[in-house]
Amino acid sequence: MSAATVQKRGIVERLTKSWLYIGLAGVALVSFVRIVTDTDDLTGAGTIRAAIIATCPILAAALGGLWAERAGVVNIGLEGQMILGTWGAAFFTYHYGPWVGIAGAALLGLIGGLLHAIATVTFGVDHIVSGVAINLIGAGAATYLAEAIFPDYEGGGPRQLNGLEAPAQITIPGVSDLANTIADKHWFFVSDVASFVQALTTNISTLSLFVFALVIVSAVVLWRTSFGLRLRSCGENPQSAETLGVNVYLYKYVAVLISGALAGIGGGFLALVSSSGFSTGQTGGRGYIGLAAMIFGNWRPGGLLAGALTFGYTDSLRLRDTQSVHALLLLVGIALLAFAAYRAYRGQITGAAVVAVAGAAVLAWFLLTDTVPREFTVMTPYVTTLFVLALGSQRLRMPAADGRPYRRGSAG
Amino acid sequence: MRRLTKLSAVAAVAALALAGCGGSDSEGGSGSGSDKTAASDDVCKSADGDGPKIGLAYDVGGRGDQSFNDSAYAGLEKAVEDFDATCVEGEATDGEAESAREDRLRNMAENGAVAIVGVGFAYSESVNAVAPDFPEVNFAVIDGFDPDEDANDNVAYLGFAEEQGSFLVGVAAAQKSKTGTIGFVGGVNTELIQKFEAGYTAGAKAAKPDIKVEVQYIQESDLSGFGDPAGGKAAATGEFDKGADVVYHAAGGSGSGVFDAAVEAGEGNFAIGVDSDQYLTATDAQKPFILTSMLKRVDTATYDFAKSIDAGKPLVSYTVYDLKADGVGYSTSNKSVISDLTADIDSYKEKIISGEITVPTKP
Repeated sequence: MSAATVQKRGIVERLTKSWLYIGLAGVALVSFVRIVTDTDDLTGAGTIRAAIIATCPILAAALGGLWAERAGVVNIGLEGQMILGTWGAAFFTYHYGPWVGIAGAALLGLIGGLLHAIATVTFGVDHIVSGVAINLIGAGAATYLAEAIFPDYEGGGPRQLNGLEAPAQITIPGVSDLANTIADKHWFFVSDVASFVQALTTNISTLSLFVFALVIVSAVVLWRTSFGLRLRSCGENPQSAETLGVNVYLYKYVAVLISGALAGIGGGFLALVSSSGFSTGQTGGRGYIGLAAMIFGNWRPGGLLAGALTFGYTDSLRLRDTQSVHALLLLVGIALLAFAAYRAYRGQITGAAVVAVAGAAVLAWFLLTDTVPREFTVMTPYVTTLFVLALGSQRLRMPAADGRPYRRGSAG
Repeated sequence: MRRLTKLSAVAAVAALALAGCGGSDSEGGSGSGSDKTAASDDVCKSADGDGPKIGLAYDVGGRGDQSFNDSAYAGLEKAVEDFDATCVEGEATDGEAESAREDRLRNMAENGAVAIVGVGFAYSESVNAVAPDFPEVNFAVIDGFDPDEDANDNVAYLGFAEEQGSFLVGVAAAQKSKTGTIGFVGGVNTELIQKFEAGYTAGAKAAKPDIKVEVQYIQESDLSGFGDPAGGKAAATGEFDKGADVVYHAAGGSGSGVFDAAVEAGEGNFAIGVDSDQYLTATDAQKPFILTSMLKRVDTATYDFAKSIDAGKPLVSYTVYDLKADGVGYSTSNKSVISDLTADIDSYKEKIISGEITVPTKP
């Protein structure tokens, strides 16, 4: 008992400490780049607020992907479930207010998840085929339902429903003002942290906090409860799970339903917080990006959070200030060189050399140019992710039975 | 395994069928039932006059986009009323093949339409391909261009001087701005949208030479930039944060996000709409923040084309609807914020019409 407790504390300490150091070093690096390149927008509170808003839908979709894939079901229907969520949020918010709207978004997403579960778990349809079908059904159903219902609503049309009430926003008065004052000084490190605090304490949507809370809840449920253990066992080795008495079908169903509901919540966020209304096609592939963020995050909650944040941050940065993407080059260059040094220290000379060359190339690009071509800035989020995936892919490990068909009794 | 293949095939077919229901391709009136509520006020479902039959092929977005396509529909509605005409409609779906557009046009021509309007430049190629097969039918492409050398003598290309209208709202923005910084959000960085940017910037500089214009595009080439309110809001918020207090959008459906950004930026900040008078379709929360809208009279162009058919002298080749022809302009529905600027804007309007000012089309 006591030994176990000690060991557990050891793990917690080790994890939090290393995360803390990495985080601090990251902030220091960003702060350094901000001062060297004189782009205050890099860590401005406005940028961070925009990044949080851009992150949340992707994060919710990524969490949806995590739940499904941890139970062994590939859910590329996230996009379709998200689209259903945007419609559900609009419909239920119009009638009953934003929080029922979010529940409605989850419900519509859950229906999408149910379709996917019936197809893949009960009938054993190929997961990709079913997922593609869900995406088409989601887009078609949302368009159809919008045309059938929204034209009669105030602020509505066959393709949109505007003027929806947003969930409440929170501002913590004293902290917000203090952080604002410090952030405006543009000091090294301190001001960057301050603007982060400012973004978190000024007009932050309660729905954003809810989505971030879902990450923690998912992590605890999946990794700290026996329910989560059983669910993950269905994704790793369903035959063994079956021999131990786990009702694999049930767990897969639950996981895919939750997955759909989470994607739906992501869609609801898009309709209620990212903008103030529903319009067809507003998801714009964010469900797929969520899926990519989950893979980027190695099928782990902390990892997918980092993935979604990377996407959200780079995407809002390029939308706000094309110039700051150039500063980002310096950041990426230094980060790559640091990673190369780390690998060299670990004795992986070849890998280190490859990364170092990439880092040097990015640095040279930064030094030799003044701006990044517009055509490139749009790709920033994708290129960044591609980089990280390419560098980190050796360590990615997906659930062992992910995407494999499973039939009851196949354990023999 | 065979059962699985069958099941997945069924699933895929069902998906396609359902997705098909979503689009409101109401041509031929086959009654797919997908737009029952909309049908009640669709003039093409009730018109039964003996005038010319007009075909209207919408761009992606279709009727109900509260912008471009709706404007074309408004022109059609008026034409049906005035010339006792009948009409058929069809709508493009996102990412459809070129052949789908051609089929739509052919279908209309074979169903007896004598005048067919393709709404949006995307119809340029397909009209060019279909027109020679139907010499008796007259075609028009809004915002269109002739893709090859040999001109068809039954095709009209109806363009707009967007830069002139944008110039006027640029003047309005510069005059309204207290911070000396204004913004522009484009949906997709194409030549067409650059015309809006160029005119806007020129107008602002003409009114206040030292004004600063922040320019941002949501996408570089991906057409999703016209349907991404979240992206529009992020881009516009960025410009408001940088001190802009008036932001003009040429971003189609993403524009509602730009309006939201103005609302969040608070009193004293404004957004400018595009294509149609967006003050009329905005929500109550957004209305006070909409300074004006750059009007692109697609309805005028559509109506004029129908009129020319009815008169027996069909329009052909290029027609540009500029300020002089009342093809572009600005709206004054939000009287309390725009009324003290109209005299100034109108003086620039006169100068453009008289040729004293030439508005650039490239930024």
